[in-house]
Amino acid sequence: MGQDAILDIVDVEKQYGAAQALKGVSLRVERGEFVALVGPSGCGKTTLLKQIAGFENPDSGRIAIEGQDMAGVPASERPTSMVFQKLALFPHMTVAQNIGFPLKLRARAAEEIARKVREMADLMHLKPEYLGRFPRQLSGGEQQRVALARSMISAPKLLLLDEPLSALDVKLKKILQAELKRLHRSLGVTFVHVTHDLEEAMMLADRICVMRGGEALQIGKPNDIYYRPADEFVAGFIGETNLLEVEVTEVRADSIRYRGPDIADVDGTLPRALAAEAVTPGPAKLMVRPELLALAKDGERYPSAIAAEITETFGKGGAIQFRAVTPGGQPLVVEVPGTSHWPAKLGDKVRLGWMKRDIYLLQARA
Amino acid sequence: MIGEGEPRSWRESELWAKALPSVALQSLFFLAPLVMTVLLTFQETRSFMLQWAWSLKIWTDIFSKPHYWTVLWHTLWMSALCVALCILISLPVAYALATRLQSLSGHVKVLITFAFLTDVTLKTFGWVLFLDQKGAANFLLERIGFPPAMIGFLYTDWATLLGMVYNLLAFTIFTIYLSVASIDRSLILAAYDAGASKWRAFWEVTLPLCRPGIWTGAVLVFLLSVGVFLEPKVLGGGKSPMSAELIRQTFETRVNWPLGAALTIVLMVVAVFVILLFSRVYSLRRYGAAV
Amino acid sequence: MRRVGQERLINTILYGSVAAVLIFFYIPIFTLIAFSFQEGRYLILPFQGLSLQWYGELFRNSNAATALWNSTLIAFVAMIFSTILGTAAAIVAVRYRFRGKLAFLGLSGAPLAFPQLLMGIVLLLWFSVLGRWLDFHTGLVTAIIGHVVYITPFAMIIVAVQVFNFDASLEDAARDCGAKPWEVYRYVTIPLLWPGIFSAAIFSFLLSWGNFYLTYSLAGSARTLPTFVFSGIATGSSPLYPAMATVVFIPGIVLVMVADALRRRAARRLV
Repeated sequence: MGQDAILDIVDVEKQYGAAQALKGVSLRVERGEFVALVGPSGCGKTTLLKQIAGFENPDSGRIAIEGQDMAGVPASERPTSMVFQKLALFPHMTVAQNIGFPLKLRARAAEEIARKVREMADLMHLKPEYLGRFPRQLSGGEQQRVALARSMISAPKLLLLDEPLSALDVKLKKILQAELKRLHRSLGVTFVHVTHDLEEAMMLADRICVMRGGEALQIGKPNDIYYRPADEFVAGFIGETNLLEVEVTEVRADSIRYRGPDIADVDGTLPRALAAEAVTPGPAKLMVRPELLALAKDGERYPSAIAAEITETFGKGGAIQFRAVTPGGQPLVVEVPGTSHWPAKLGDKVRLGWMKRDIYLLQARA
Repeated sequence: MIGEGEPRSWRESELWAKALPSVALQSLFFLAPLVMTVLLTFQETRSFMLQWAWSLKIWTDIFSKPHYWTVLWHTLWMSALCVALCILISLPVAYALATRLQSLSGHVKVLITFAFLTDVTLKTFGWVLFLDQKGAANFLLERIGFPPAMIGFLYTDWATLLGMVYNLLAFTIFTIYLSVASIDRSLILAAYDAGASKWRAFWEVTLPLCRPGIWTGAVLVFLLSVGVFLEPKVLGGGKSPMSAELIRQTFETRVNWPLGAALTIVLMVVAVFVILLFSRVYSLRRYGAAV
Repeated sequence: MRRVGQERLINTILYGSVAAVLIFFYIPIFTLIAFSFQEGRYLILPFQGLSLQWYGELFRNSNAATALWNSTLIAFVAMIFSTILGTAAAIVAVRYRFRGKLAFLGLSGAPLAFPQLLMGIVLLLWFSVLGRWLDFHTGLVTAIIGHVVYITPFAMIIVAVQVFNFDASLEDAARDCGAKPWEVYRYVTIPLLWPGIFSAAIFSFLLSWGNFYLTYSLAGSARTLPTFVFSGIATGSSPLYPAMATVVFIPGIVLVMVADALRRRAARRLV
């Protein structure tokens, strides 16, 4: 694994005055990967990006790119390129001058620069007539492409993106997200992408790093994190979820016995693999995603089920979301595929069932 | 977010290289001379020569001669009037510049800037020619058929005041303009939406938000006006000297450096004291109103 | 109906005050220009005739010429130093956060609020004491120093406004593209700050040119424009001085208009 690591972050710490922005973060990125850094504001994801880019240096820890320690190496000399949140296109230069700027700094010949600029513009689907215009004359989406072109013209080893799509409207965002995916596939450049849009992270990334309070809580494939989150926070952060209070009575090598208020389970056991390592006898949380709960029709049998009353309904077009509450007062969210004839309505008393393979048992928060 | 106009954290060499020149300049040629001036107040003169002898003679002199203090009082009073007039005149002008006059505002600003930057002696001279008995004002008045009202205006305190306001008006126009221009229009619209009349909105929203500009302008004008001597001497005829003229005399004609130094320090200290006094009253009132 | 009347009244007051203030500002200026065409020796109305003879007299007067030359020289040198120091200070003031920043701002900005005559006197004392030690006299150099001290805060404020509107991430982006520090300045910072710097330079030049109080105290025996005029007011005045004034006004208004046009053009480029 280690041989092809293009970015190696080891135990990086960063303090700003009294606040500790990064508390010992480690991350290894393979060549050609698309890694997303997500987390609530203030979690340190942008700070981490700054350390990788070289705009700041960590107080302790090590950052290596292709095996080379980057300590003391300024941003201008690192093989990284950044796409800024506000794009940072030079307003006094034309689009062509913006894109060609990195090459100009490397003292390349004018014809070579012009040729490469055209190549980049083609790659980014930028019309040639835009090359002579100024950034302010282009639309938001087009400006994004210019920023991407500029960052890639110098063939960087690492492309760092600081929430570049966060200011765009939904339609444009979807188009550019697809563009990013396409670019990543065709160029094979390693992407490190900071975003607060979870859907975006799940769609684009090979691996996601969830951060909070300066720490990396979980690093893994999107599906792994989604179905087997490290703790309650990650579970709730990565998507909507249900967390039911349960009590673990026994932990064996290959199974777990549990029971929960209001939960009707056929045998009260779970395979050990469906529980986090840290789970011990005592209080725990049973996590099941809203789309994996089913509204049981009369007569249908499920291995586990719970009764609830519908308190709110939301029609989301392609899906319908119900909010319910158990007799014990626990809130639940259920999502079913959209149909024209809704399976339940406000106030209905329903039975929600799930398959055992669709849950995950988490350690209850201390 | 990276580089979003946030102040960057402290980095040694880059910062020092940029900050040092002006720090050096102001320390060497502003702070140090001030300190030396204070030191001078503790020296003496004997037969027009400075003696470096440490004594409190000058200070006892100053506190025992009422003349200096009457002049100081007169200076403070004139400066206060000057501030009041400047603010009063600037308010409508700055407001108009910021909220009406969209296309013309640039040209008006150019005109004001040019007038501000021209030589103060030339402008004062121009006023003398205008206000003189046989000057332009009376000439024009007679032409229209009015009696020459400008007799006895020149060479009075009023003329001095006119000159002071004239030279310092640009400052308050500028500071108040900045305040008004930076008011978020949506605040005023919110006031209208809540049912306020135009006047009420102005009184409750716009005016309070101008306060920083008014205050900054007032402080600036006050400090600058306590040090004027051209206007009282030329427009006022030298009949009612202000502190700065007194100070100038001590240096030029009487060559009594320690005395001049002491008068200078006294003037600055009193001016700052007055400002602090007012700011105390001002903030007390604000808290009082909030309570 | 009352509402409309009230609106009109307010607008009249507002526009009227602007017009009144503009007229107020230009009374002495126009008076001077008018008087420069007086044929007779004395500055009284009615005119004895209209002529340009005093302009001619001006060009022949060697004192006037020296005064004009000295003032221009001082203004030019003061402009250069004030602009450079002010620009550096502005960047520090807006971009950096550090301990003692308040003290830095106070020190850099204080000369602006300090009454000029007093500053002139304080500096004069300083130079006199130093002069005895190091053996030099007041003259052009001391006047320049005094001007720079007074004018740098103005330059700093003007450039600071430009720096404030300048997106700091642009410099980061330049470095990310591979620019070394001096390249960042050359390709990004200076081109974008240039309108502010130019405005500050012009402002500095004119502030120095028109400065009376400091020059009065610090120029020593060197003849300068303001002291020349001041001495002229004191002794029997002739239309020579209004002529001088008009000659001085022209470059002033031209420079201010040029600075404004440039500022407008630059603002359009950057929106």
